[in-house]
Amino acid sequence: MKQQNLRHTTTRNAFFWGWVLILPTMVGLVILNIYPMIKTVYQSFCKTGDFGRGNIFIGTANYAKVFSDPVVWQATLNTFKYMIVEVPFSVIIALFFAVLLNKNIMGKSIYRTIFFLPMVAAPAAIAMVWRWLFNSQFGLINNVFHISTHWISDPSIAVYSIALIGIWSDIGYNMILFLAGLQEVPREYYEASSIDGTNGFQKFHYITVPMISPTIFFVLVTRIIAAMQVFDLIYMIMDRSNPALSKTQSLVYLFYQYSFVQKNFGYGSTIVVLLLMFIMVITVFQMFAQKKWVHYN
Amino acid sequence: MIWDSNQEPGIRKLIDDFTAKTGIRAEIQVVNWDNYWTLLSAGAEGGALPDVFWMHSNESQRYMSNNLLLDLTQRIKASTEVDPENYPADILGLYTYNGKYYAVPKDIDTIALWYNKKLFDEAGVAYPTADWTWDDAYEAAKKLTKADGSVYGYANVNTNNQAGWYNQIFDNGGYVISDDKKKSGMDDPKTIEGMQFMAKLINENLMPSPQVMTETGEDVLLESGKVAMTTQGSWMLAAFRDNEYTMANCDVAPLPKNAKTGRRVSIYNGLGWVVSAKTSRPDDAWKLVEYFGSKDAQLKQAQLGITMSAYKGTSNAWKNSVPQFNLQAYLDMQNDMVIRPYSRNTVKWENAINDCMLKAWTKELTMEEACKEAARQMNAILAEE
Repeated sequence: MKQQNLRHTTTRNAFFWGWVLILPTMVGLVILNIYPMIKTVYQSFCKTGDFGRGNIFIGTANYAKVFSDPVVWQATLNTFKYMIVEVPFSVIIALFFAVLLNKNIMGKSIYRTIFFLPMVAAPAAIAMVWRWLFNSQFGLINNVFHISTHWISDPSIAVYSIALIGIWSDIGYNMILFLAGLQEVPREYYEASSIDGTNGFQKFHYITVPMISPTIFFVLVTRIIAAMQVFDLIYMIMDRSNPALSKTQSLVYLFYQYSFVQKNFGYGSTIVVLLLMFIMVITVFQMFAQKKWVHYN
Repeated sequence: MIWDSNQEPGIRKLIDDFTAKTGIRAEIQVVNWDNYWTLLSAGAEGGALPDVFWMHSNESQRYMSNNLLLDLTQRIKASTEVDPENYPADILGLYTYNGKYYAVPKDIDTIALWYNKKLFDEAGVAYPTADWTWDDAYEAAKKLTKADGSVYGYANVNTNNQAGWYNQIFDNGGYVISDDKKKSGMDDPKTIEGMQFMAKLINENLMPSPQVMTETGEDVLLESGKVAMTTQGSWMLAAFRDNEYTMANCDVAPLPKNAKTGRRVSIYNGLGWVVSAKTSRPDDAWKLVEYFGSKDAQLKQAQLGITMSAYKGTSNAWKNSVPQFNLQAYLDMQNDMVIRPYSRNTVKWENAINDCMLKAWTKELTMEEACKEAARQMNAILAEE
């Protein structure tokens, strides 16, 4: 009898303390993430006045406008272009370097630090430095290689220049994740395959990639979500007077323009909901696809 | 809070004087023009405006009508330092709402033509004079532009309207917004005719490409000897004074006039110092703003070459602050001034017009098509106001 009572108290205690300890995170999540999300979706059905006062409910008028707006579809295309270039390259390059740095070479820690440094630098500082590097008249790239490409003002290549910066800053983060995944691969597999006579590339293809496929999957999902939300690079590097802006602005950039510069919160919220739909579809697709190529032990 | 980092050192000096006099300390925060209003309105919605900040004609209507600014009427009446008589009526009018004053005028500004003497000498072209017309400027730009693209005769980025192509519109008798703020003047035939000056420069490649002008500011292009002429506002004096190249090689002349109408318009504007309605220290904030508007501070602002002060009679001090430049040009431009076009939602339609102009700059549309499209979009936005 007494034992049962004790167990009751302990479980109740554990239950209580469990909730107390996750309360801060729950509160933060609800206030900063869930409530704004619901409010934004609601906002997409409204029209706002000055300084956020006077919300008028207008139903799906914003959605009708969004689906027929060429600017929004161009921005969607821009965002996809950025994502298609940035994610694969940053993942492949990071994987390559992670495999190299997994071996016991000299100065391994220094290399790892150097690769990770871009993650530590402030995004504003990164944007400013690259903005100067890419300047067609006085920038370092054009002056060192004696070319005169308009990296960030030519409508056809500006979005890829921005993707280049994205790749450069993400390699470090991806690499750290891959290194962690690589540590998990048992050394015996490689030794066994050496006995069977495989070369480096075959080892990579048949052992490394399948063994770290959960990590690759995680990196792919999170990086795609982050790439679809690109904003700060475009905002800080390209001014309104830039001819390439219409072919580079992302959906989040459009959201910022409509919501905060033009104070049209309703339309901005609609764009964000549209982005949410895109990301959800892609992520769900990835979740289904994981059954095909991700090997969990 | 202010948006011009060029003016910051001078304003800092004025604040130091104020602190020496009253013991009240103030901090300056500079947020550049592109972000200033976004940040300010976010602060306004959140109830966290700066105590004292700059107000501009673009936004003054909205801020005043939404009760975000402290009503200064009584304080101005009681003040010995700030008397409405001493400031241009137009500028005070920008910051008056329902008969009440909401700002202490800070300055006025006009536009003039900066040119590079060295490049003019090299090309053998005579310096701009007060008799120049826009056609003379066009001819000079043709001679000054080098075939290899290392030097261009003129520079005016599409977003620089106040200190740039607005002036040619009004010179020709056109207009940007009707007096009742209901209609756009961008498709008026006189406006389109006035814009032909820019159209000629664009079509004959006498200006750097829009790609270059968006990456590098017109002032930087002048300072690095890449362009021979550009029109700039009087607020740029500090930047050109502090740059060695422009100090040595550049000078300023009045804007060219229109050959047909003979008008030599300068768009002008004046900023105001305002106090947030919800500030926790209204008396101290008022003292600071009163000081900024007082004769001493306005005179000092002019002497330091920060901007042309609003206080009547301080212009000479500004003119003499940098004797190397012919600053009389800016004072001469005061003879025919048009207030910067504005309405309740200025930023919205200004952005729309600038975006249409960008298409003209990139030769995607002809100037006439761009102006008509700009008028169409502007009228739609004005209808919603």
